[in-house]
Amino acid sequence: MLPRRLLQPLHRLLACLSLLGFCAWAQAVQPVTIGVLSHRGDEATLNHWTKTADYLSRALPDYHFEIEPLDFDEVDEAVGRGTVDFILTNPAIYVNLEVRHRVSRIATMKNRWGEEAYNIFGGVIFARAERFDLNSLEDLKGGTFAAVDETSLGGFMMALREFKESGINPYRDFIELSFAGTHDKVVMAVREGRVDAGTVRTDILEHMAEEGRIRLNEFRILNQQHYADFPMQHSTRLYPEWPFSKVQHTSNTLARQVSVALAEMPGDAPAALAGNYAGWTIPLDYQPVHDLLLELLLPPYQHQRQFTLLDVLQRYWAWLGGGLILLLFLGGMTTWVWRLNRALSRAKQRLEAQHALILDSVAEGIYGVDTSGNATFVNRAMEAITGWKAGELIGRNQHQLLHHTRADGTSHPGEECPVYLTFTDSVPRYVEDDIFWCKDGRSIPVEYSSNPIRDRHGRVTGAVVVFRDITERKRAAEEARQRQIELAHVARLSTMGEMASGIAHELNQPLSAISNYTRGSIRMLQSDREGLREQLIEVMERVASQAERAGEIIRQLRRFIRKEEPERKRVDLNHLIRELVGFLQPELRRAGVVLRLQLSEGMPRLWAHEIQLEQVLLNLTRNAIEAMQERPADGRILLIRTAYNEGRVELVVEDSGHGIDESMREKIFEPFVTTKEQGMGLGLSISRGIIEAHGGRLLLDDTSGRGTRLRIVLPIEQEGAL
Amino acid sequence: MSGKSTVFIVDDDEAVRDSLSWLMQSVGLSTETFPSADAFLQGFGEDRPGCLLLDIRMPGISGLELQSLLRERGFRLPLVVISGHADVPMAVRALKAGAFDFIEKPFNDQLLLDTVQRAIEHDRQERESHARLDVWRRRLDTLTPREREVLQLVVGGASNKQISSELGVSMKTVEAHRARVMDKLQADSLSELVRMTLTVAHK
Repeated sequence: MLPRRLLQPLHRLLACLSLLGFCAWAQAVQPVTIGVLSHRGDEATLNHWTKTADYLSRALPDYHFEIEPLDFDEVDEAVGRGTVDFILTNPAIYVNLEVRHRVSRIATMKNRWGEEAYNIFGGVIFARAERFDLNSLEDLKGGTFAAVDETSLGGFMMALREFKESGINPYRDFIELSFAGTHDKVVMAVREGRVDAGTVRTDILEHMAEEGRIRLNEFRILNQQHYADFPMQHSTRLYPEWPFSKVQHTSNTLARQVSVALAEMPGDAPAALAGNYAGWTIPLDYQPVHDLLLELLLPPYQHQRQFTLLDVLQRYWAWLGGGLILLLFLGGMTTWVWRLNRALSRAKQRLEAQHALILDSVAEGIYGVDTSGNATFVNRAMEAITGWKAGELIGRNQHQLLHHTRADGTSHPGEECPVYLTFTDSVPRYVEDDIFWCKDGRSIPVEYSSNPIRDRHGRVTGAVVVFRDITERKRAAEEARQRQIELAHVARLSTMGEMASGIAHELNQPLSAISNYTRGSIRMLQSDREGLREQLIEVMERVASQAERAGEIIRQLRRFIRKEEPERKRVDLNHLIRELVGFLQPELRRAGVVLRLQLSEGMPRLWAHEIQLEQVLLNLTRNAIEAMQERPADGRILLIRTAYNEGRVELVVEDSGHGIDESMREKIFEPFVTTKEQGMGLGLSISRGIIEAHGGRLLLDDTSGRGTRLRIVLPIEQEGAL
Repeated sequence: MSGKSTVFIVDDDEAVRDSLSWLMQSVGLSTETFPSADAFLQGFGEDRPGCLLLDIRMPGISGLELQSLLRERGFRLPLVVISGHADVPMAVRALKAGAFDFIEKPFNDQLLLDTVQRAIEHDRQERESHARLDVWRRRLDTLTPREREVLQLVVGGASNKQISSELGVSMKTVEAHRARVMDKLQADSLSELVRMTLTVAHK
């Protein structure tokens, strides 16, 4: 090896020197180096191929071709570095170079045997002729074997493929597998008996025999194959001959010129004779070589199956390391992003839960409506109140479900729906008294507000409705009204109790008179006096009149204690006052009170509970009468006045009594507050309750200590209100 | 003595007033009616015999007030009070303050008439005793101081002898004074003289 390694730079130096030397006449001549696999030694190689280079130099005058012999392990480096322009090597190496360094074949060599040319070749496995024990490849197991080189196609690989197909692993099954380095050495090793058998490419034995160095009958061929058009001894399949290839950097123009020059070389050209070949053909298909290398898992297919983890680590540790770091980084990032995502998702869930919690913890029903009138969300209170489940409401028209029909049974058109109107005119609405229909077909009284929902641009995207079931409130209001009636009734009974003795006295008067008249008459009749008849007639008239008087008192009494009517009706306030005054007349007389009535005629009628209103009047007038008891007999004046003004009726009850202390003014309407010795303190409180239930007000006027003036203001309400 | 007894009826209820009047007239009593205590006080100028029939509960001056006003003016007209059931306590007060009687409504006409008659009779007797007392008082006023002394001693139960020694005069003088006192007082007997003297002394 050493001499060739020293030789190679020498060649290059010579090439450079010659280049320098000839630069005067060969200005345009460029050196072209043809690398040649030196499988039989450098000297043989140069002998073989220099003439071919010369041939090409002559054919292409612009170039000077030179041969550079390359050892098996130098080929790859030379091509990889680009120190050669063309490469002539065996097909296996060519296939590797093709894959690794993108060389491309431009011609396939034709081999010469005798007068014939062959562009295919194979391998031959042989032993010495006297080894009768070695007849098949199997017989070689346990023996020693020589081959040219592990990378030699004809000198090893072809045989190896055949061994493998026969189930033999030369590395394992042979006691010794040696590589001699050249074909000739293998032949000599077998011949000299140093190994049991060996393998070389076809034509080696024939050439050596021709040269006289061996005799063919000294050897026996194992696994001999027969191919009709191929005369030489061989033990393997046949493969295309050596290709002449251009290296990647070599220009296509030069490659084409070389290709043409080679193809035009005659079979008997000095170059061909020297190279012991028979010219060149267009490049053959090297697929069989690929198949062989693939089957043997040899370069470039060595990694097809045997690529172990260790190989990977060794070969790609930097990539793997980088990849691993990248993977770790990506993993870290992914974890971080995942955690961040999870935290966000939790925060979102928490917010949503909080949102839902708030929505679901309010007692009011809340739902959203989009501009098509469909429900978009619903809270739990809504589900509880209406019986509709969220799933049954969301996406459906809320108007059709909830308030398709009014309380009076008439249809409620969708375009009049306050919720619909809210998102058409963007004005919030509040509806005090409406009904919603529940899932079970009941209707419930509700109050609700409907507010437009706007997006960021202020466009209305729907409405949110908040509603409340007011069943309880309505019932409470009804109960309060009922209590008011009951309280008024109790007050009435109480008043009647207080008035009972007065009424009894009042009834006694005509009865006493009747009694006196009749008794007197009886006595008169017994005495039988003159002119008695006329006197008696007159007295009997008075008796009848007194009986009628008693009847009138009883009539009034019955009217007063009649069953109370729960409903309101049209009430003529002036008429009511006159009737009451008639009833109070005896009391007024006994109390020495002068009554003044100033009633405004032509007032509209009130829509009221007549009995309750009468009770208020009774309370106020009786208070007034009592308040004047301390006054001198000529200073007891009770004024009752009515007036109508701007849809309101005003009633004033004024007395000339002691008035109300400043300290009491604020309190007199409170229950159980009284200025009287025998009073419950309920009269004014109940009266105010009644008046307020009628939508009116009961006020105490400031009279600066001169008597008391109470003022009632009542609206003239439409029938059906309240 | 001035004339016939009259039932004065005061009641704010005209029918009651009129019917009471009719009832009184049916038994031959003369009546005068007034609608109020005020009206009565104005119309009742001098002390006249009879009785006052009054509803205790009246507007204006009440029955009780009228009673005390009449007393202040020295009128001794007996008062018959008519009261409703509820006014009984008021009637009792009136009775304590010197009313003659009270009648609770509704009343029995006979009871009312009897009461009124009794009141009139009471008034008549009162007026008679008052008249007799006046006569006696006038007669007593005619006595000389010495005659009064003698009368005192006689009424005290002293004998003529004791009187003569007490006064330091003769028996004859005592007897003359006694005769003159009996004469001036128009007494028929010693017992009458004593009753007359004691009655006047206690009124």
